Amino acid sequence: MSQSAREEILAKLKAAPKAKPAGRPSMPPLTELSWDPDQLIANFMANLTAQTGVVHRVKDEIDAKAKLAEIAAEEGLTTVIVSTDAVVAPLNLTEWGKEKGIKVLTAKDYTDRDAYKDAVFMEAQAGITGVDYAIAESGTIGLIHDKDQPRLVSVAPITHIAILPVERLRPTYERVTDIVFADKSNLPSQFTFTTGPSMTGDIQGGQFKGMHGPRKLIIILMG
Amino acid sequence: MEIRTEQFVEIAKKELKNARNKQFLSVLPLAITISRPRSMQSFPDPEAANEYGRAVRAEAVAGMPELLEEFEKNALANGAKIVWAKTAEEANAFVLNLAKERGIQYVTKGKSMITEEMGLNDVLQESGIEPFESDLGEFIAQQLHKPPFHIVGPALNIPVEEISDLFIAKADMKEPTTDPVKLGYAARLYLRDKFHHLAMGITGVNMAVAETGSIINVENEGNIRMNKSSPKIQVSIMSLEKVVPTMADAMHMIRLLCRNCTGQKLSAYISIDSGPKKSDEVDGPEELYIIILDNGRSEIYQDIQAREALRCIRCGACLAACPVYCKIGGYPYGWAYSGPMGQVLNPLLLGLEKTQDLYHACTLCGACKSICPAGIDHPKMFLYYRVQEANSDKKAAGGFITNKTAKFFDLWRWGTTRAWRWKMAVKTARPFVNRYAKDGTINKTIKPVEGWFRTRNLPAMARKTFHERWAEINKKVTSDQ
Repeated sequence: MSQSAREEILAKLKAAPKAKPAGRPSMPPLTELSWDPDQLIANFMANLTAQTGVVHRVKDEIDAKAKLAEIAAEEGLTTVIVSTDAVVAPLNLTEWGKEKGIKVLTAKDYTDRDAYKDAVFMEAQAGITGVDYAIAESGTIGLIHDKDQPRLVSVAPITHIAILPVERLRPTYERVTDIVFADKSNLPSQFTFTTGPSMTGDIQGGQFKGMHGPRKLIIILMG
Repeated sequence: MEIRTEQFVEIAKKELKNARNKQFLSVLPLAITISRPRSMQSFPDPEAANEYGRAVRAEAVAGMPELLEEFEKNALANGAKIVWAKTAEEANAFVLNLAKERGIQYVTKGKSMITEEMGLNDVLQESGIEPFESDLGEFIAQQLHKPPFHIVGPALNIPVEEISDLFIAKADMKEPTTDPVKLGYAARLYLRDKFHHLAMGITGVNMAVAETGSIINVENEGNIRMNKSSPKIQVSIMSLEKVVPTMADAMHMIRLLCRNCTGQKLSAYISIDSGPKKSDEVDGPEELYIIILDNGRSEIYQDIQAREALRCIRCGACLAACPVYCKIGGYPYGWAYSGPMGQVLNPLLLGLEKTQDLYHACTLCGACKSICPAGIDHPKMFLYYRVQEANSDKKAAGGFITNKTAKFFDLWRWGTTRAWRWKMAVKTARPFVNRYAKDGTINKTIKPVEGWFRTRNLPAMARKTFHERWAEINKKVTSDQ
C-alpha cells in the first residue's frame, strides 16, 4: 500500500501547475539579539515569571544544592527522581539526598522500563533536571533528551526543578536550534522547549496549572 | 465523526437560541481580541513578522512535493518509519492493523485535527481498541460525543455541572464539584493511569521540518509529551501541508502560531522528535511511525487558487475574529474544522456540493484575512467557490442559482450598464418600491426578489436621487451668485 501511495501522491503533486511565490522578505529584526548578559537574565526571568515559573538565582553549585534542600523542605519532598545530565551529574545529588534524608532515584537504578515508569509516575514527587539551553525571548528552557536526560523525569512528576547554568542562556530559539540541530547525522531523538508549568484553559476558559505535566516549574539559575 | 455540513442552517438556527453558548460567545472574542494583539505587540514589528510567516507558508506550499521528499529522506535517516496514505481509510487501516498486530488494548491521543478528519476514534472503537483523547477539552468532547466547539478549546462551552456529572460517570471522580481545578485534577488522575501503562500513543503534527526530518508538536497540557515518552510505539499523523523548509522557519511559525492561537509567546511545551529513542535511552518510542496523509490534498493542489487553503497552520485566530462564528459557535460547521478556516477547508475536502451553506455564510468582511498569519485570503476563496458553483451544472450545485435568480441578474445587468437605463429605472421603481415602506424602512417582501428581503431591511428610497438634488443645488447656487 504505502509504496504505491507514495509514488502516486508525489507524482500527482509534481504534475500540478507550478506557482512561483513572491519571494521572502528579510527576516524581521529580533531585538533580543542585541541584549547584553544582564538583559538576557532579566528578560528570561520576567518572561518565565509571567508564566508562573519560579526562578531562584544562586552563585555556584554549593549554593544550588543548598537552595535545592530549601525547596525540598518547603515542598515537603521525600522522594525525587533526577537526571544524570552534564549539569546535574557533577552535583552528586545521590550523596546530597543521603545527607538531607531525601530518597534520590535515577533512571539508571532500573534495568526494566516498566519499573522505571512506576517510579517516575508513582513514586517521585519531583523531577530534577539540568537545562541544556534557555531562551530569554520567552522564558523558555530547552532539554536535549538522551540516556542521561530521560523524557518523563521533566514531565511526569507534579514538580519540575531545573538547574540552569547562566552561560547556557541564549536570546532566541534559532540561536539554540542552530546548535542542537547542527549535526544532522546525530540529532537528539527528542528536544523539548518548556515555558512554565503544564496548564489548560479547557474548562470555561479558566486557567489552571498541572493538567498532565508539572504544576510547578522551579528554575535554579546558577552563576 | 459524522459529517453534518449540510445541516449548517438548521444547526445554526438552533445554536442562535442556545443561551449558554451565546453567553459564552459574547465573552470569547473579547478575551481573544485583547490577548492576541497584545502578544503580537511583543514583536518589534508585528506586521513584518506576519509578512515573513506568510512568505514561509507560501514557499512551503509552492515547494511541497520536493519538501516532502526531503523530509522523508531525513526522517528515514533518523530512524523513523514513514507511511504514506492516500485516504483517511488507508491511514485508519494502517493504525488499526498496527494496533492489532501488537496486541494493543487502548491508545491515548494528543489533540489532533487530522485524526478528527480521519474519524480514527470510531474506527479503533469499533474494533475494540479504546481510544482516549488526552487533551482535557477533547477528552470532555469525546466523552459527551460532541464535535469540537472551537478547534483550540473543543469543550470551552460545556458547563461545569455537566462536566462534573460526566466525570463521575466516566472518569472515576467520587464527589460532584463545580471547581474547574478539581475537575481538571480528576481528569489528570484518570488519564495519568492510562499514560503510565500506555503501549501506543497517537499524535498529530504541527510542523514537519524538511531539512532535519523532525516533527514538532505544540501544546500546553503535557499530554502530547506523555504520548511520545511513555509508550514503546508512537504514531504521529501529518497531512501533506505540514512540511516547512527549515528549523528556523519552524521556529518563526511557532512564534506566530502560539501568539495567534492562545495569545502566548510560546506554549508550555514544544517537543521536537527526530527519529525514535536511541537504544541506550530508557523512555520514548522504540518505533516511531509518521503517517503522511493526503486525503484529497494532492487533488486540491492541482488548482493554484484552491491550493492557497493549504497554507493554514490551524491557529484558530480567524474563529474569534469572525462575526458569524461569534454568533453561532463551532457546531453548525458540522465537521472537524469550524469558523473561516472550516469554511475554506471543508468545501475542498468534502466537496462544494456538500458545503454550500458554509461558503455562503460570510459577509466577506475580511476580518479573518486581515489577521491570518498564514496569508490566506478567505473572502477570495469563498468567492472562488461561489463562482465555481455558479459555473457548474446548476442541478448538481443544488439548484442554488435558480432560473428566476439568473433572469433577475440578466435584467439587472442590462439595467445597470447604461446610465440612462439606470436613471429611468430608479424613477420608475421609486413610487412602486416606496409603497412597501413603513416608517422609512422597507422590510416587507417585494415580489421578484422576496428571498433577498428575508434577512435584510432597506431604507425607503429618497424622494430625489443624489444626482437630481445635486443638479438643483447647483442651479440654486449659480443663480444666487
